[in-house]
Amino acid sequence: MSGDYLWDRSGEDPEVARLEGLLGGLAHDAPLAPLPPRRDRRRALIVGASVVVIAAAAVIAVLATRGSRPASPDGCGASGAGFAFTSRGGQARCGGVATAGGVLPVGVALETPPDVTADVTIADIGALTLAGGSELTLAATGADQHRLRLAHGRLSARVTAPPRLFVVDTPAATAIDLGCAYDLAVLPDGRTQLTVTSGVVELAAGARVAHVTRGHTVTTVAGRGPGTPVAVDATPAFAALVARWDAGDPTALPPLVAAAGAGDTLTLWNLLANGAAADRPAILARLDELFPRPEWLLADELVAGKPEAIAGLRDVLTSGVWLAPDATPAPPSTDANPGVWR
Amino acid sequence: MAASVVDATIAELVVAAQGGNHAAFTTLYARFHRAVHAVALARVGAADAADVVQDVFARAWTRLDSVREPAAFAGWLMTMARHRAIDRARARGGGDAPEREVAVAPAPTAEAAAALRAIRALPEAYRETLLMRLVEGLSGPEIAERTGLTPESVRVNLHRGMKLLRERLDPQAATGGTP
Repeated sequence: MSGDYLWDRSGEDPEVARLEGLLGGLAHDAPLAPLPPRRDRRRALIVGASVVVIAAAAVIAVLATRGSRPASPDGCGASGAGFAFTSRGGQARCGGVATAGGVLPVGVALETPPDVTADVTIADIGALTLAGGSELTLAATGADQHRLRLAHGRLSARVTAPPRLFVVDTPAATAIDLGCAYDLAVLPDGRTQLTVTSGVVELAAGARVAHVTRGHTVTTVAGRGPGTPVAVDATPAFAALVARWDAGDPTALPPLVAAAGAGDTLTLWNLLANGAAADRPAILARLDELFPRPEWLLADELVAGKPEAIAGLRDVLTSGVWLAPDATPAPPSTDANPGVWR
Repeated sequence: MAASVVDATIAELVVAAQGGNHAAFTTLYARFHRAVHAVALARVGAADAADVVQDVFARAWTRLDSVREPAAFAGWLMTMARHRAIDRARARGGGDAPEREVAVAPAPTAEAAAALRAIRALPEAYRETLLMRLVEGLSGPEIAERTGLTPESVRVNLHRGMKLLRERLDPQAATGGTP
């Protein structure tokens, strides 16, 4: 045999060619995602030096004029580092000061009265709308992460960014964006509710993580973290069974598993991932009836809770959510789904 | 700088991208994304590996000014890819175990999954090089350029890795065939 096919494809090597054909479908061919803002260190140094000079001048000016007039209370001016926002229906309060718009700096809270909403730009990766009666604080913003805290109220976010770049903390959990649009609410009783309208979001609290795809909603359970995601168009009876299970009623599982349909596979996957080992065989059996599991995902490994098998099944079940991220209609606000806000 | 980014060397592209040139960075992505994917795929499943690729290039874009020697870009990028993939694997709760889940649409065949498992069980140097060759379709010289390794090292890694892989996929044929 002449040439070296393995090295430069000269000559022949049937075994290498066969492996190429076998594995070539896994090759990466996705385009470059939108890039985050660039940190320019030289500019940062110049800006930093300028800030020091300006701050020193400001201190001198304040000292020189102390007592002659009150200091400005407005910490959310029209320029500076932070997230730009505009209120609708009236004035919001930024840093405790009423305003129709400006820039929300790090560490400052934006509050909306009941009849006022605010549109907030999330750096250059997306936007959110803060509902009336809400309080949102910008905890951090940078190339590595944009992080907000929703103390109470609701927000609706749409983000185009690499996974895990956009994070929102609530009193009960943390919503981690994996490329998506979602509604997030802190309910009056302190629970957190997440409803995903596009892509995938993780809702985490402690070691417990709910993987929520578009068209699904999840609510935290007091003292236990995220509950089990359920389709927004699930029947009230099915949603009630999930709620019973999340509340700690073990008798809810058999009828829940039996009632699950083709639209409930993500619910079953979350039960498989977060449930007890003894419950996994029945959950997997129902999943197998509803979804053609690839043969390389071994039942033994799934029943044993092997992390890579569980994650592999999740990725297969959810791979379609990336194909048409806007195909799912907005979830309705119904009695069965009272926390959904549009 | 060459007449267009298409003709530019990697070092020229790095310098241009450091100056904020998006087209240059996009060209760097086009040349390196498959190598980065292979490095990630050696440690995590396909769905996670695709995330790692985007994460690595987003970080590379924001931190490109830390590359003092443009010719060292390939090694810098591959090191970042390994670290990010290891982080992702640990986040999945699997420590640094080489075998990760596989998840793409359409799902790979059982034979492909078995081949992937066998490659992931190889030593790291062979594992990454073989994934670049057999999954990503890069030739030996292209792998050398993308990784910053010498062509001789890549050739050795490819042949030794392939020999081990043949033995593990078909032990009987390997013992009866040429070494």
